Amino acid sequence: MKKGGFAGRVLYVNLTSGEIKKEPLDLDLAQKFIGGLGMNLRLAFDRIKPGVSAFSPDNPIVLGTGPLVGTSLPATSRVYAVTKLPQSRAIGWCGGGGMTFGCLLKNAGYDHVVIEGCSKRPVFLKIIDDDVEISEASSLWGKGVEDTCTSLWDTFGRHAGVISIGQAGESMVSFSMAFIDRTSTLGRGGFGAVMGSKRLKAIMVKGSKGIQVADRKRYKALSDELLNNIREYPYLKEWQDLGLVKSIPFIPKELYSKIKKRRLACVSCPIGDKDIVEIPDGDLKGLISCSTSVVNLLTPIVYGFKDYREAIKCISILDDYGIDMFEFFGVLGFAKELFDQKIISQDILEEEIRLDSLHSMETWARKICFRDGLGDSLADGFEGIIRDFGKGAKRYAPYIIRGMLPYVGPRGPLVWNLFGTMELGQALDPRGPHVGASGSPTYFAKRPLGQFPRHLIRMGAPKEAISRILPGLDSPKGEQELKIGRLLNYSHNWFCTLGCLGICARAQINRFYSASLCAKLYSAVTGIDTTAEDLMKRSDRVWTLLRMANIREGFTRKDDALPEKWFEEPAFKDYLSGNRVIRQDLDQMIEDYYDERGWDVQTGMPTPRKLKELGLKES
Amino acid sequence: MNKFKIEATPERCTGCLICQLVCSEIYTKRFNPSMARIKVDILGVDCLISFTEECNECGVCVDHCLYGALKKIPREKRK
Repeated sequence: MKKGGFAGRVLYVNLTSGEIKKEPLDLDLAQKFIGGLGMNLRLAFDRIKPGVSAFSPDNPIVLGTGPLVGTSLPATSRVYAVTKLPQSRAIGWCGGGGMTFGCLLKNAGYDHVVIEGCSKRPVFLKIIDDDVEISEASSLWGKGVEDTCTSLWDTFGRHAGVISIGQAGESMVSFSMAFIDRTSTLGRGGFGAVMGSKRLKAIMVKGSKGIQVADRKRYKALSDELLNNIREYPYLKEWQDLGLVKSIPFIPKELYSKIKKRRLACVSCPIGDKDIVEIPDGDLKGLISCSTSVVNLLTPIVYGFKDYREAIKCISILDDYGIDMFEFFGVLGFAKELFDQKIISQDILEEEIRLDSLHSMETWARKICFRDGLGDSLADGFEGIIRDFGKGAKRYAPYIIRGMLPYVGPRGPLVWNLFGTMELGQALDPRGPHVGASGSPTYFAKRPLGQFPRHLIRMGAPKEAISRILPGLDSPKGEQELKIGRLLNYSHNWFCTLGCLGICARAQINRFYSASLCAKLYSAVTGIDTTAEDLMKRSDRVWTLLRMANIREGFTRKDDALPEKWFEEPAFKDYLSGNRVIRQDLDQMIEDYYDERGWDVQTGMPTPRKLKELGLKES
Repeated sequence: MNKFKIEATPERCTGCLICQLVCSEIYTKRFNPSMARIKVDILGVDCLISFTEECNECGVCVDHCLYGALKKIPREKRK
């Protein structure tokens, strides 16, 4: 049978030498690592010299999409990048809803793009099918994300996919992001700064080659059934109309309907969650903002903003600079605390820090992006502040994991105190904390344990794992338990499967997919017959390779340590019992996680037996 | 002539392009938005949905639109 799904080529670009190469995708390797996120990681693993700095020309950016991207399957648009990230100094992934970029990259004939070196002058990468060029970008350098995208769309047409950084990435702000089609983000960890270090302002892609599926008949039957399931979902319309506003109560629905202009979707997504809003009145009347979600636009309210219009304006500014908002507010909160503690003096502070003031936040965003005064320290994140203000500053820092702010927690910006896989995952993903529920049933608070097995099977956990995750489930008298560490193993593998294929991992989307369906879709699209067990084993291989890549960088068990402040009051609560979570509980969860993965429980190293089983010895 | 015409409601469109994907696949056997007979242009807040001259109103785009932005209108009932 013919092969489908994959575009079939990898584009290699060296910004130092200017060399551009197009090479066939190694299909055997792609099959072993599924594609998308997995293949990105495999390509990066081969090319990253251990110990390389995130900002070294030798640090490659490997960007790519999965074999389902570009088809009509629901929400298959994800774009992933793998590189050495500046905040965690780990080899990590960034991923975003691909908007049109992923689909167009595949249509241009590339599954992956490997970018190495560093340009002497600002450039953008132009990809129009086989026409690939490193183009002059001095007129774009210094522009925000909005103007950069608009400028490229004016030149190349609105049907171009664009990944762009703003001024924060140019200044290598450690918490800068890249934006996909102005709306979606490759964020957390400092991906924007890696692009900036290479003087790579943007990547623009247009493609017209098309993507074939191997078995059209089988594809149609599976696709029709999936679409029907989505159509019959009772909450479909509500999710389409409200997006995250449906589940996050701090935004009144009346306010949302007043400012909502249009909801946007990534390619093929049935529950588009991007927003275009317009401020209808007041001094900011007429301001139109486009964001990954209206929830993001209104997040400054959490930090004390009284006027929602000013909150929208604030996030619009941060988005345009290309700054991660959670890290921005976290870093400024820390700096303010140091001022209150007289560790930062008035003459260094220059401008008052007020987390509830548009004027103050706008001033500090500018100072950070242009590394002006104290903004230079702040631009290097928590690490920069501690570096410049000594160890005395450290005790006032919020809880930090791998140099970043975990934003879900009892004292995090989003108040959530039940400890599930997302919380443990913030510590155990090498890239550092991010929001990644991975379809885990603990994403929803207090879900009855009886519902867990169905979800676990859907996520590809083998039946025999259920009794290890849920001891006592079938015993009417036995005490029920939930082993978060063991569950996280399958949550990571499931997330990885979705990332490799190109399916959105959001809970509202991945609920329609199962490991079994993914295997059928992969088989129909690529022509490579695959079972669910096979697919999950490959995901296990990918996630273990991620671990190996970071062990090679020098990371050990101690880097999985959890911040001491997590155990202070108010503490996390056990998902099941509601009891306070103490350090011993979390240490046990980490050991459970290692054990379930087949890693040494003391060191966290994948065992030789596990590596042999996954065929990773030769990697 | 088909029994129906396709009516677009751009206000409901999210730009997900599933219509362009399925249209192109039906006629070229490849998912290729640039070859679709329906074109969706989202320009800021505005959205324009148009059809090329080759469009024969087969309705595959309507069948796949999950946002209600495309509808089949029976010809006899169309004003």
